[in-house]
This record gives sequence, C-alpha cells and structure tokens, in this order.
Amino acid sequence: MDELGQRIDQLLAIPPYSQPPEERQSALLELLKDELEYACRRNSGFRNYVQHWPSDTRSARRVADLPYLPVGLLKGQPPLSLVEPREIKRTLTSSSTTGQMPSRIALDSSTARRMTRGVVAIAQDFIGPARRPYLVVDVPGSVGGGPELGARGAAIQGLQPFASEVTYCLRPDKDGDLTLDRDKLLQFAEARRKSLVLVYGFTYILWKYLVKPLRAANICLGMADLHILHSGGWKLLQDEAVDKKTFNEELAHVFGCSAERVIDFYGMVENVGVIYPDCAEGNKHVPVFGDFIVRDPLTLRPVPEGEQGIVQVCSALPTSFPGHLLLTEDLAEIVTYDGCRCGRRGTCFRFMGRVAKAEVRGCGNIDRDRQQPN
Amino acid sequence: MSELIRDIDRPEEISVVGMELRESVSATEITSNMVLEVFEAWAAALGESETVDIPGVQFLRMWLRRGTLEPIIARELGRRALDGTWMEDGRARLKAFPLGVVGHWPAGNIEIQPVLSMTCALLGGNACLVRVPSRLDDLTRRLIGKLDQSDGKGVLTGRVRMLVFDHARRDLQEAMARAVDGAMVWGGAEAVLQVRSLPFPHWARLAVFGPRISVAAMDADSWCNMQERESWCRRIARDVWQFDQQSCSSPQVLFLEKKAGHSCDEFVQTLKTAFESENHFHPRRTIHAGLTTAICQARASWLLDDVAHRAIFPPGPDWTLLLGSGAEIPKPTQGKTLTVLEVDDLLHPLEKLDGNVQTLGMAIADAEREAKLASVAARRGVDRIVKLGRMHVFAPPWDGVDLIRPMVRVVRHVPSIG
Repeated sequence: MDELGQRIDQLLAIPPYSQPPEERQSALLELLKDELEYACRRNSGFRNYVQHWPSDTRSARRVADLPYLPVGLLKGQPPLSLVEPREIKRTLTSSSTTGQMPSRIALDSSTARRMTRGVVAIAQDFIGPARRPYLVVDVPGSVGGGPELGARGAAIQGLQPFASEVTYCLRPDKDGDLTLDRDKLLQFAEARRKSLVLVYGFTYILWKYLVKPLRAANICLGMADLHILHSGGWKLLQDEAVDKKTFNEELAHVFGCSAERVIDFYGMVENVGVIYPDCAEGNKHVPVFGDFIVRDPLTLRPVPEGEQGIVQVCSALPTSFPGHLLLTEDLAEIVTYDGCRCGRRGTCFRFMGRVAKAEVRGCGNIDRDRQQPN
Repeated sequence: MSELIRDIDRPEEISVVGMELRESVSATEITSNMVLEVFEAWAAALGESETVDIPGVQFLRMWLRRGTLEPIIARELGRRALDGTWMEDGRARLKAFPLGVVGHWPAGNIEIQPVLSMTCALLGGNACLVRVPSRLDDLTRRLIGKLDQSDGKGVLTGRVRMLVFDHARRDLQEAMARAVDGAMVWGGAEAVLQVRSLPFPHWARLAVFGPRISVAAMDADSWCNMQERESWCRRIARDVWQFDQQSCSSPQVLFLEKKAGHSCDEFVQTLKTAFESENHFHPRRTIHAGLTTAICQARASWLLDDVAHRAIFPPGPDWTLLLGSGAEIPKPTQGKTLTVLEVDDLLHPLEKLDGNVQTLGMAIADAEREAKLASVAARRGVDRIVKLGRMHVFAPPWDGVDLIRPMVRVVRHVPSIG
C-alpha cells in the first residue's frame, strides 16, 4: 500500500495536462492494474466481479480494457469500501433526485488528502496558485463538520486551499429556503474590489439566489479581478430556458467582470479528486492521474472523436473504495484525444446530459415490488 | 396508404375517423374466409425486401397463414364462422358479429404488435383504430403498406385506420377511447393503467394483455441429456433473443433442477455457446443507453452481492448469464440477461409463483411429472405452459384469454316462425 501510495503521489506531482496520451496511458495503466489487485485483496465481492470480467485484467493493454464498476454500485449502505470502518474519516454523499439513493463514498485520510491535492492541481491550472478571498454562494452549514459531506459541501471544501479567508453570502430564511445576505455580499465586494477573488456556487444556486435578485435590483458588484467557478448541472436552468451563454453573461454582469472569468466544471463525488473545468475552447480536460472514456452504448467500446456515448471516469487517487474505474449514468462527446487549441494535452470532451432512466420496458414491465412472492 | 396511417393532432379528427369506421362495419359484413384470403396475400407481400428484416415479421407471416388461423377461428368462434353462416343451437341459431370499432393500444417495444393486435379484431369482422407508438411509426407504415398493396378490393383497408400521436396527448387518447366499442391494450404497468383510465363508452369491452414476466424450468434429465443439450440451449437462446427479452413471454430466469453427480457447468457452457451463436446471427442494431447501464449494473451487483454467484458475459452488452442458486425470481433486467438458478426441486420455485408470471417454458423428461408441475404452476396464476423454444408462439388463449372472441358478440336468433 505504501508503495502504491508513493506511485500515486508521483503522478499527482506531474502538471495535470502536460503529458501526451501515450505517456500518460502507460503510467496510468500499470498503476490502475495494481490498484485493482489491491482492491481485489481487500474486498471479496469486488474480487468476484473482477474475476468474472471477460478479459484478463493483467494482460490489458489499455485503461479502457480494465474492469469498470457501474456507479450505481456505490449507492449501497454500508458504502462499498476497501478499508476497515474505523479507518473511514468521512463519507461523501452525492446529490440525488427525490426517491433515489445517493452514492456513498468512504474516504480514509490518505484518499481524502489525495482528493484535495487532485482538485487543487486541476483548479490551479485554471485560476493560478495564489490564495485569495473566497466567496461561497451558499450557506455556511453546507460544509458540516459531521462524518458525512454532500456534493455541494465537497465542492466548496475542495476549493478551500485557495482561500485566504472564506465568506458565505447566503443564509436560510424563516421558511428554511435560501436567501441572499445582500448586506454581507455588498460589504465583501466593497472591501475586496481591488483584490483577486475566488467565487464558487452550484450553478442553479448562483442563478436563483444571486444573479436574479441582483439583476432585479440592478446591482453590479464591480469586482473585475475574480474567477467564478460553478458546478452542479444545467437541468434546472434549462427548465427556465437559460442557456450557458446567457448564464455566463448575466453572472459576469452582476460581478462586473468579463464572461471569460466564469468557469463551469463537471464533477461527481464518486470520481474523487477530479474535476473537469471548461477551457477557453469550451472543452473539459482529463488530468494525468485520471482518464475519461466514452463508450458506445451498443458495444461498450470507446467511441472515436466526435461521437457520443456513456461516460466512464477513471481516477488513480482512491484507495479507500473501488472507485478507480466507474461507468457513470452520464453522456458525453469526445472532442479530441489530443490537441485542444487551449494547449492542454490529452482527452477533451463535452458533457451531453444524463442517460435517461433505465426502466424495465414493454409488456414484461411488471411492478417490481410485486415480484417477490412471500 | 395516406388514409390508412396518419399523424393526428386534433381530437375531432379521431371522432370523424371513428364514425367512418363504424359506418363501414354496419354497412358490410365480412366473413373470416374473406379476411384470411387477404391475410394470405399480405403474408406473401411481407416477405419483400422493405419489410422482411423488420423484427418479428417472420413470425407475423406465419401467424397470417390460413393454416395457423383457421383452427383458432374454429375453436374460438366455431367452424361456421369461417363462411359467416349461423350455427344451430336447438331452436335458436348463433353467430358471431363484430363489436364494431376496436381500439388498439400496443406496447412500444414490439415492432409488429400494432398490426398483430389489429389482426385479432379483424378476424372478428371489426374495424380497427390503432394508436401507433412514435418509435414504431416508420416500421408500421411499411407493414401496413404491404396490406394496402395486398388488399386490392379494399376488404380490410376500409376497416383500418392507424393513428400516430404522442402518448402524452391525453386529449387524443380520450377521443380515441370515446370512438371505440372495444379495446385491446398491451404493455407495461404504467401504460396499461393510463389506458384503462380513459373514458370508454360504458358498453366497451376491454382485453388487457400484460404486464407480466415469464420463467423457464428444466429438470435434470433434460439438461443432462447430452443428445438434446444443444437443442435445448438453442431453444432457450431463441426465447431470450426475441423482442430483446422485453416481452411478457420472455424468460427472465431459468431454473435448473440439480442432480447428484452432475454439474450444471457443462450445460451452462453449452448455453453460452448458444447465446454466442444467436448473437452472431441476430445482433442488436441499436440499444437505449439506459438499458446498457442497467445491464452493466445487473452484472456487477450480481457478482458483488454474493461471492458464490458467477456470471458469463461478453465485453459488450449483447447478452448476460447470471448464475447462482435459489428459488426466488430475481429482478428482471431484460436486454438478454438470463439468470440461471439451480434448485433442489422444481416444485420449490413453482410453488412461489404468483399472477405476475404469464408463461412457464418447460423441458421435463417425464410427461407425468410435467403434468403435475403444470398443474402447480396453473394454480399459481401461470396462463401459458409451453415447451422451451415456443414461449413467444402467439397462440390463443394468451394471458388466459382468447384473442378473437373477446372482440365479438355472439348473437342469438330465435326465429319467430316455426
């Protein structure tokens, strides 16, 4: 494990978008094979799965040939884990739609540390290394101190290494809904107008609780030197017919910065330590300690450039749960496997939405609750 | 052709079409023989290049043949129904007449179902209003185009109108329900409940098919029989492949009865070969991404849940064999995902069946034992008990219900003189 940890740390020390595809594949492939072996030793169920994989894991020549786990398998309770319960420092939970089970990600201290290092390495490539005032468009309670941390809290916390100080500008109202603490925000803007600032919020929260009220009051915060990072998906904004261009322009308008300072990133708590911010070309990039495979739903083979399919995320960082190779329920399009005009090396892609809910269909679609007779 | 199938946007259009169809049923009578004559020509035309590759068309062509349908008509309506004459019944006489206009709500997962459902009602002399699921629009146009081409005299085409509209259009669904005297409803739970809630006339008769699942069972003497093993495995693969395992008659689980001194492993290897072969000849052309992720999820959760579980699957989502033991029916995944469960005695799973299971496909070496097991299954709600390899053979009764008779009225005439 120590040797494995060292190899992961070595990978984390490499600038995240510096290596050409062949170089990164060879380093990542051998590490992931060893991590799979490690996971098999630690979890008998996972070992049973890998042993039944239709090809031999050790002789795999590409990351795409290694056994991947559907992300739904991380929704179990207790969480699927490779460490003893006492070693689990925190459990990350995904955001989930009503009635759905969230994913539960067991983090030990090593994995948690690498998660932070991974996010920092990626974010640094987009916003620079400096510490700066950090404005969180959320309520302080979203980063609880308890054993569980939700997706919003994880994203907020992931960017904290860039913070010289943290200010939350939302508060709960009397009905328990969120509301903008306008005085606090204006005070923050007044005091930090000349500083480099980092802003983070969930996409829809930024729109509903910051952009809309400030636009309605015709307020511009006059903060030109900042980076605004946001994540969390577009579905609710699409329901309001707000597209990315409008969102970026409106958000930039209320802060008084250029729209290029708004950076959308895709991420999921299951893919620990990896976030995928948009580059200036509008593409998302894959760091050297991970991979991103888009699979054709008909064959499950990786798609060629320009084609869409089901997303598989890969990360070499976790050792506390078997989340190295995860087949998600998202769709993406591979833009290119190398050569984005922004200069970052390796695969870049665009997120295309969620896979429509898999339902048992047709006249064979019975009520599942009635299937198990007593 | 444009009259036979059309996009619909207003409820009034459906009302007008319904009235025209009712008028045509009242004005002219067609005998089963007349219907069968057109069906024979239609079956031949379906073998042409535009339609021959549509999934299920070979089955449809077999279904439309006189040799298939005559015995069904004779059993359900009596021999005389073929030429439209009355049957003597003491001093009275009996004859089947159509209900009138029959509405069809087929499932969206079976390509030939809109026309298959329609044929049942046509055999009873009815007119048909068929809602065509959007994803079957193009295929149905091709299938019904062949009917148009085969029915020069307009015997049936005057009685058929196929309507394409979005299933979410409640106003159009209601207009269709108001326009019919009977309905044949197929599909999943949600779809069936939605159709049943529509405002049908109080006299309308509804025949509801689905939602249900099916299972397969083999005794040890059958799966241990080396001479027949390959043949049984081919039959199982055929039952799994049709309709991508989404039909109510698709087996989701195969129960294998254990036998001392014999391992199921060799049988499973033969089954794997049969699946590979079936996949080679009948590969999927498309798949819903949600089904792909469901198949991957089923494989992983099966193997993670219990280290005694085994599985065989190719790198793609083409097919999956999940292997274990136990008498409970697992959650169906569909998409050619067959769970093979070893049991000590086939009675154990059969005693756990309930009304959710439509078809039991069986391979039992001893006829007497098979009869006993069939009775057990029938008492527990199973409606069809057939040989493996014939689980989808669309022969009535289906779901315990005749296919033609529910959509006819048997008129009793007691002559006033004599």
